[in-house]
Amino acid sequence: MTDNVVLTVEGLSKHFGGVQAVRDLSFQVRAGEILGVIGPNGSGKTTMFHLITGFHRPDHGTVTFLGLDITGLPSHEVCARGLCRTFQVARPFPDITVHRNVLMGALLRHPDPAEAALRAGQVIRRVGLEAHTETPAGSLTTIDQRRLEVARALATEPKLVLLDETMAGLNATEVGEAIKLIATLRDQGLTVVVVEHVMRAVMSLSDRIVVLDQGTKIAEGKPQEIAEDPRVIQAYLGKEYRRA
Amino acid sequence: MRAALTPERYVPAGTLLFLLVLPFLLPNPFYVHIVVMMFTFVILGGAWNILSGYAGQLSLGHAAFFGTGAYVSMLLVNHYGTSPWITLWIGGFAALLLSLPVGFICFRLQGPYFTIATIGLAETLRLLVLHFREITNGAQGLTVPFKGNSPWQMQFDSKLPYYYIALVLAIAVLWITRCMEGVRLGHYLVAIGQNQEAAEALGINSAQAKRRALALSAFLTGVGGVFYAQYTYVIHPDSAFGLGHSIQIAMVAIMGGVGTVLGPALGAIIMEFFIQSTQIVFAGQYPGLELMVYGGLLVAVILWRPRGVFPWFDRLYRGLIARLPSPGRAA
Repeated sequence: MTDNVVLTVEGLSKHFGGVQAVRDLSFQVRAGEILGVIGPNGSGKTTMFHLITGFHRPDHGTVTFLGLDITGLPSHEVCARGLCRTFQVARPFPDITVHRNVLMGALLRHPDPAEAALRAGQVIRRVGLEAHTETPAGSLTTIDQRRLEVARALATEPKLVLLDETMAGLNATEVGEAIKLIATLRDQGLTVVVVEHVMRAVMSLSDRIVVLDQGTKIAEGKPQEIAEDPRVIQAYLGKEYRRA
Repeated sequence: MRAALTPERYVPAGTLLFLLVLPFLLPNPFYVHIVVMMFTFVILGGAWNILSGYAGQLSLGHAAFFGTGAYVSMLLVNHYGTSPWITLWIGGFAALLLSLPVGFICFRLQGPYFTIATIGLAETLRLLVLHFREITNGAQGLTVPFKGNSPWQMQFDSKLPYYYIALVLAIAVLWITRCMEGVRLGHYLVAIGQNQEAAEALGINSAQAKRRALALSAFLTGVGGVFYAQYTYVIHPDSAFGLGHSIQIAMVAIMGGVGTVLGPALGAIIMEFFIQSTQIVFAGQYPGLELMVYGGLLVAVILWRPRGVFPWFDRLYRGLIARLPSPGRAA
């Protein structure tokens, strides 16, 4: 059971002033799965990502990645160990091309820029950005900026990626494309954690789902169990979702 | 197999050739002096550009590294008779050593701390140099006694040798910048300048990259300081460590175009040209006027050409390359 665990979060807590953003949060991510994380706005999903990837230091708790304690490591080191995240609000390097953006990620494993450039090209094709290779990243559309976020993360050749609301603001067709992309990543052997508000995406993609509310885990299970859990329905999904 | 004679090759080669014969075309040594000053600012602006231009970490205290190089060299030359050819390296390394604690302390933080720290560093050094009069000769500064033509002491009757030394140093700085662009550090600095948090998320150790760039930048600035001291024979606390000097170094790169290899070279040419021509035109009638012109120029560039004159130059240059014949390329 525990031998195929990639990430273990145990007793994670963080407060900002008087606000308890994350409270005693524990869960595990298993190799090869897609774990969905859902919860109302302000329930601590992004803070959780920040705590895992070293952007914030937790007050309490530990983060164990591939058997090693990575709690409080600087974010670049977390990434170097194979755990990469994207940002909810895309943070492209705006003035340089899409290709060079992705190259920055590829340089982590391939210090030779020529080799990294080849890898970057492959990743760009993988996420379907090849038409925009030479476009300055700042002038991409929303969906392409999200694609770029994912591409840059993939270029670091992670074992686990944390995708923070990759689908926010996308239209129905685009959500479909994004779902397909993330499913492909899993099929290629990557382990993925997705934070999402788009229920259609979370339900269809996730092998398991963790539900947060006010910084605490209120439920964890298979998508169907979650959809039927009364606490989840009350806190987040709403009665309509049960009928649907 | 004969290398094709394309404009991409013969234009830079022609430029280099022109620079090699330029001092013989200039009517008198004063003009040679102006070009030497341009080269000096290519060195300084180019060195500044490595960290502040590529990684967007604004330093307004590069005079600290310049002055360290200049003073260390002067003291060694005067007290021990060390050859400036050797102090060129020692001065550079002294500036590099000075940069280490700055990089170590400041790059853990983001925001304006680095800028403020660099200003503080230069100002502290200026006051220290004023205070330790027995060693530094205080506000009067240090001079190198002229010993006549003595190449080993980097002293020459003519300005020509200085011209070529400055040219070599300036080209070296630009060449180092170009090499840096091609390796991982160069890319990482650009990423950091664009968005440091995103860079960190991609595994880029931004503090380390900035420390390395600062060390290289400080070293080259220190070398520039040594050359300047040897060339002018005199160095003062104000001319070496003054805030105005730091700003001037930064301006060269900003006016030319930050984060580009040739930007500081363009900036140095423009700035030195303006400073000298205002001094000539107004011939000291209105003291401080050149500073006003220079300030006005600065505002104009930041308002209308925030990326410097480089993009404009780049278009012009590409247009020229495209129109020039390339005899070797004909099929």
